[in-house]
Amino acid sequence: MSIINYASREIQFKIVYYGPALCGKTTNLSYIHQRINPRNRGDLVSLATAADRTLFFDFLPLNAVVIKGFVTKFQLYTVPGQVIYNATRQLVLRSVDGLVFVADSQWEKMEENVESFKNLEENLAKQNISVDDMPCVLQYNKRDLPNIAPVNYMEYVLNNRKKRLQSFEVISSTGQNVFAALNAVSQILLHKFSKQSDVPQSVAAPVAIPVEPRMAQKQSAPA
Amino acid sequence: MNGGIPVLTINDVANLDGLLADFLKKAEAEMTVVIDRGGNVISQYGDQRLMDVTIIAALAAGSFAATCELARRIGEVEFNALYHQGNGNHMFMNSVDEDTIMITVFGSRTTVGLVRFYSTAAAQSVAKLLKSLQRGGHGLHFSADDISAAPIFTDPPTVAAK
Repeated sequence: MSIINYASREIQFKIVYYGPALCGKTTNLSYIHQRINPRNRGDLVSLATAADRTLFFDFLPLNAVVIKGFVTKFQLYTVPGQVIYNATRQLVLRSVDGLVFVADSQWEKMEENVESFKNLEENLAKQNISVDDMPCVLQYNKRDLPNIAPVNYMEYVLNNRKKRLQSFEVISSTGQNVFAALNAVSQILLHKFSKQSDVPQSVAAPVAIPVEPRMAQKQSAPA
Repeated sequence: MNGGIPVLTINDVANLDGLLADFLKKAEAEMTVVIDRGGNVISQYGDQRLMDVTIIAALAAGSFAATCELARRIGEVEFNALYHQGNGNHMFMNSVDEDTIMITVFGSRTTVGLVRFYSTAAAQSVAKLLKSLQRGGHGLHFSADDISAAPIFTDPPTVAAK
C-alpha cells in the first residue's frame, strides 16, 4: 500500500513481478538495474539459492519525480515462481500497489502460466483484492525463442476477461519492452492514485505543499 | 493499515520523530525505523549512514513474516520480537501492531535488554499515533493531467560498438 509522507515529500509504491518459475522475473529486474541511472536506483537485492533460483524475493528500489515535486519511490519485487513457495508469494504480495505478470511464451509453459495466474488471483483474493481492481500489465516473455505460442493465443489464454489488461511482447534477456511494461504499470498506478485524492468530508485535508508546523498552528488558531 | 492510504502530515512526522528520538536516547541505540509489513518505510530516526533503510525495510518485513510461520508451528500467532546478534552491530525487531514493525539497530554502547525494555513502551506509543493517522482520500490533489505522459523510466540507448 502506498504511503504519503508530507515531511520528506515522498510517496511509496510497491510493484510485484509475478509469474511461473523461470519465466524471467529476475531477468526483468536485473535488466532494469543495469540500465537505469544509478542515481535513481538502489542496489538489487536477490535472495536466491546456490543455483540462482529465487528463494524469497528480489528487490529493487527506484526513485522518480512524477507528482508535484514529491519523490516517488517505486519498490520492485519479484516472487519465487516455484509452486512450493506459495506462502512466500503471499508475503511478497502484501500491500502491493501494482503488478506485472510475466508469462513464458513457450508452448510447453502455457499450463504453468495459467496456473500461476490463477494462483495470483487466489492470493490477491485472500487480501480481498481482484486483479480487475489492481494496476496490472501482462508480459509475454521470451519472444525470441523458436517454440513460442502466437500472441493471439496467449491473449485468449491469459487475457480473456471483461476488462482486458495491457500486454507486451517482451524479451527480458535483451530488454525489449521491459521498460515499456514498467512504465505502463507505473502510469496506470499513478492514474488510479490520482482518483483517490478526494478526502472524506469529516477529515481536514492536509496541504499538498508542506508548511512549517508553527505556521500551520498559527493559521488554524481562532482569530 | 486497512481502510485507505495512510497520510503522514508534517505534524505526524514531528510527533513520530519525537517518540523515536526519546526511545533512542533512553535505549542508547543508533537508529530506529518504523515500517509496514509490506516493507514500506513509515518513519526513521537516528544515524542513517549505518544502512540503506529501504533495503533493510524490505528484508526485515520478509524476515518478520517468515518467522510468523515458524511461530505458528509451535502454536503462537507470531513472535513479538526478533533479535539478530552481530559482532559489533545488532538488530532488534518488534511488532508495533498488526500492520507495523519497528526495527532498532544498536551497537556496543547498550544491551539487548535495554533496547527490548524501552522498545515495548515506544511501540505502544507509535501504535497509538499510527492509529490516529488520516485514512481514506490522501488529499494530495493532482489530476491525471499532472502526471507526465513521458516515460517515467527510460532505457538509455546502447552505444554501438566501433
